[in-house]
Amino acid sequence: MLQTIQLSKSFGGLPALRDVDIEIRPHEVVGLVGENGAGKSTLMKILAGVQQPTSGSLRRDGVPFVVHNPREAAALGIGMVFQEQSLLPNISVAENLFLGREAEFTRFGLMNWRRLHAAARRELQRVGLDIDPGRRTAELSFAARQMVELAKALSLEERVRGELVILLDEPTSVLERAEIERLFARVQDLRNRASFVFVSHRLDEVLALSDRVYVLKDGSVVATLPAAEANVTQLHRLMVGRALNAEYYMESDQAPYAPEVVLQARGLGVVGAYRDVNFELHRGEVLAIAGVIGSGREELVRSIFGFLPHTEGELRVNGLAVRLATPADAVAQGIGYVPRERRTEGLVTLLSVAQNITLANLDSVLHGVRIDYGQERTLAEDWVKRLHIRTAGVDMPCGSLSGGNQQKVVLAKWLTARSRILILDHPTRGLDVGAKEEVYRLVRALCRDGLSVVMTADTLEETIGLAHTILVMRDGNVTAVFDAVPGAKPVQLDLIEHMV
Amino acid sequence: MRVPFAGFSAARLREFAPALVLAALVVLLAVSTPGFGTPETLLVVLADTATLFVLGVGLTFVILIGGIDLSIQAVASLSSVVVAMLVPRLGYAAFPAALGAGLLCGLFSGIAHVKLHVPSFIATLAASGVAGGIALLVSGARAVTIGEAGRAYLQWVAGSVLGIPAIILLGAMVLVAGMLVQRYTPFGRYGLAIGAGEAAALASGVRVDRHKMAALAVSGVLASLAGIFLAARMASGSPMLANQLMLPAVAAVLVGGTAITGGVGGVGRTLIGALIVSVVRIGMTFLGVNIFAQQILFGAVLIVAVALTIDRSKIPIVK
Amino acid sequence: MSVSSGPSPLALPGRERRALYRARLRAWAPLLVLIGLCLLIDIGNPRFLTIANLVRVATAAAIPLVLALGTTFVILLGSIDLSLEGVLAVGSVLTSLLAANDANSLSFGLAVVPVAVLAGALIGALNGALHVGFRIPSFMVTLGIWFAGVGLATVLLGGGTVRVLEPLVRDVALTRVLDLPVLVWIALAVLLLAWVIQEYTPLGRYMYVIGGGEDIAALSGIPINRTKVAVFTLAGAFYGLGGVMAAAQLGVGNAMIGDGRLFPSVTAVVVGGTSLIGGEGGVLNSLVGVMIVTVLANGLVLLGVSPYLQQAIQGLMIIAAVAVSIDRVRSAIVK
Repeated sequence: MLQTIQLSKSFGGLPALRDVDIEIRPHEVVGLVGENGAGKSTLMKILAGVQQPTSGSLRRDGVPFVVHNPREAAALGIGMVFQEQSLLPNISVAENLFLGREAEFTRFGLMNWRRLHAAARRELQRVGLDIDPGRRTAELSFAARQMVELAKALSLEERVRGELVILLDEPTSVLERAEIERLFARVQDLRNRASFVFVSHRLDEVLALSDRVYVLKDGSVVATLPAAEANVTQLHRLMVGRALNAEYYMESDQAPYAPEVVLQARGLGVVGAYRDVNFELHRGEVLAIAGVIGSGREELVRSIFGFLPHTEGELRVNGLAVRLATPADAVAQGIGYVPRERRTEGLVTLLSVAQNITLANLDSVLHGVRIDYGQERTLAEDWVKRLHIRTAGVDMPCGSLSGGNQQKVVLAKWLTARSRILILDHPTRGLDVGAKEEVYRLVRALCRDGLSVVMTADTLEETIGLAHTILVMRDGNVTAVFDAVPGAKPVQLDLIEHMV
Repeated sequence: MRVPFAGFSAARLREFAPALVLAALVVLLAVSTPGFGTPETLLVVLADTATLFVLGVGLTFVILIGGIDLSIQAVASLSSVVVAMLVPRLGYAAFPAALGAGLLCGLFSGIAHVKLHVPSFIATLAASGVAGGIALLVSGARAVTIGEAGRAYLQWVAGSVLGIPAIILLGAMVLVAGMLVQRYTPFGRYGLAIGAGEAAALASGVRVDRHKMAALAVSGVLASLAGIFLAARMASGSPMLANQLMLPAVAAVLVGGTAITGGVGGVGRTLIGALIVSVVRIGMTFLGVNIFAQQILFGAVLIVAVALTIDRSKIPIVK
Repeated sequence: MSVSSGPSPLALPGRERRALYRARLRAWAPLLVLIGLCLLIDIGNPRFLTIANLVRVATAAAIPLVLALGTTFVILLGSIDLSLEGVLAVGSVLTSLLAANDANSLSFGLAVVPVAVLAGALIGALNGALHVGFRIPSFMVTLGIWFAGVGLATVLLGGGTVRVLEPLVRDVALTRVLDLPVLVWIALAVLLLAWVIQEYTPLGRYMYVIGGGEDIAALSGIPINRTKVAVFTLAGAFYGLGGVMAAAQLGVGNAMIGDGRLFPSVTAVVVGGTSLIGGEGGVLNSLVGVMIVTVLANGLVLLGVSPYLQQAIQGLMIIAAVAVSIDRVRSAIVK
């Protein structure tokens, strides 16, 4: 009934989906599972009209179609309940339910609130929500808003004839037991009118609700199986695949770390994000943090760099308790940050290579208050040579460099700032294989020189391959700590068990 | 800011456009109006531009980081009132007092913007109200003339040195200081970084808050310096003295090529912009266009300048 | 992140509930400030709460209210309209030149009103078109139009001032109905119109949607560009009407008639509780805000405080209002 044929999507040359063939038949619930970055969200967004595919086609009942926005998708009976909520907090529930459809509720050009609210109440009843539709959406709990989103997607029922396709993107991650059951009951009730695509990292739920399951890995469909015949372990294995050659991560270069503790966390927490995190980072160690979205690992990393000051517990740098209120505080403590968003947070793309390299430590080229351009150039050229940065010159704007070379400039910046602790946030995102290799080599070299690294990686493979120690997080807590000594590294299955 | 030579591209052309426009205008005016090309007239043009330029330099630093300062005319007026009222009593000490007033206004905007997270245009609009109110109060809402005795203290601005009006020399000093600060000091470098990529600057440990405060403070001080210039030229101070200067100042900065989105431009460009504004004003006066009608032109020019220089990739949603 | 368990799974957890109560309290703050202000001034000078004085306050608030209502709509979008003074000038000049006056022999009577309003609407439409068509930030476009408008008004007048002689126009300010000048009734009518637009028309609802989340609005098929142009046009029309009212009240038309009216207007809107980010607030908020600003001015006179301090106090008020209301989470980078 809904089909994708050879669907592919690339972001800036990097593939997120490769030749994906998926079929959603009438009256079925299809589960979609995969690691972070496997392409689940991208696939859903294309189906819902939020993004356009780079190539491939979509078919509805055999007829090819193209949608440019969710409204057009809705006209075809495809609705989505988003992971990041798409409700406007400042208007009423009723207005959110019928956003874009106000014209259906006007009389002589004026809004007929009674009719709108009555219609809204009907939709809300469908998901068992008994609230006043005139209430401001911001006043509802997160869970209630999720149900309103579901009601909104289900309201397609009234507008579109024929079968609906409802896409559920991680709908249960913030719901309580009772609400999840209510959601599942609704889904069952609506089977005769709609098919569902259910994305979740909670594999047990996916298996409980779905008829069939697709497994995505690295943007491709690696398996499709009936839910009745599958189990969680099997899915895990399919999601992560075989382990790669250990030397890809230069594990033989992984030297043991020194006993000296450079960074220590005790009971660290940020209300609403993560709690009770404890770790000790040693000189020369790579500490990797694994977890899915919502696990709290992103926030933890932001806290260590001063973007998100911790509200509980304490953080000690070289034994001294610190409070990092801004990134500048973190930099002053010798912490550097190689961000995920290279082009917005890592580099000022309009400025030159040399200007970016000195940005975190202008003092290195200052004589009093005067910037010595000659010295700056020499410094930059030195780094270009040492890190093999490919650029036409240190005066070139950073925006003209390739991703891998940009990453090296960011590293050069922190080395110029003499950071002793480096935070690597998805350091190989958007890089090709050769560039990734260079990054791994650099990480090993940095550790040998006595730097310490806190890392969140894109894939579990990378996490395991590069790390000395792995912290696994889920729902804001640390659920496991693994030692990752070369030759005795944990397997991905071990990690996933504690992540999802 | 150094941009590497990339051949004849549209961007290169845009970079030189203001200078070319200025050259064209000067030639046009020199050809069509006798007496324009003489050294005397040129000195008058430069002297007229000096005040506008100084006003524009402070504004440039704020616009470079992506903000705006709408308080400059009120601060300049306040400064002129301070000078007019204090010169008879305090002599030369009146000048630091005026600059101090400008500094305080700048810090007021800075605190509101940085500590209270108020958008810069509201923070500076509010500062404009406060400065204007104080100026009105202190002066009794009328112009305060500076008597014979007081005028002696203003000679360092109103007089001449070797035939060149002192105000031009002072303006030149501000130009040189501004360019040096911009190019060679951390303040200049950080301002560029914040304007071109605030997120990256923040993530590199730049103390963005401190810089923004400083930029607004500098703008306040320079606006008050402009006020001192005005007081010297008019031999009086008034709470309305700098009215009608806001639009030309903003026009000077934007027409000179500094983008409202920040990160591109600078003090040198503002000089060219200020000269363009001055020359256009003189030209229009020669043509008999009254000063208010000139506003229509400047209004249109402003919109066009922004449309051309704005970097839309920086603001995904234009409000 | 899991929602903590409470009596009902759909109820707000403690922390969120407290934030909700704080938000509700903040919503009532402007009205409480107004009431407090009135009481304080009356204590300082009992002549404040007399019929005669309240009529004076209402009369003084009439034009600012009409202006603030236009500004409110634009601010609800998340934009700003700085052209108020220019459009008002054009409106007043057109009024004074087309109705019976001392400069020419034209005499169109009350027909000038729609002409001035239309002129204002056209300028507003220009604002909207430039903003939307060239994607230039609204404050830049309206800054340019502000001065262009003042310039245009001067050009139309040929410099100087024109006196309005048309009795029908002057009566707008001079005649009283129920002891209040017609001006005030016009302002109240405009308030009602604005409120109906805001609460009962799709256009009004779209203002909140665009201000609350323009990206989501776009995905939902809301006609964003059309709405923005319509809102700026509406604001321009209000300013044009304000120009007519100003010409009637002062009996003259000149280009400086709008001088100094922008700041109190923006102050009133912000102090009344309408957020500069957009999507929050509305016409009733602005009514309270205008009353606060007008009462303050009246009070300063009654208390013998220098009226020159008015703008200084307004400046402090606007900062306080914005600082208190700004949603820090939503806008991490403030420009």
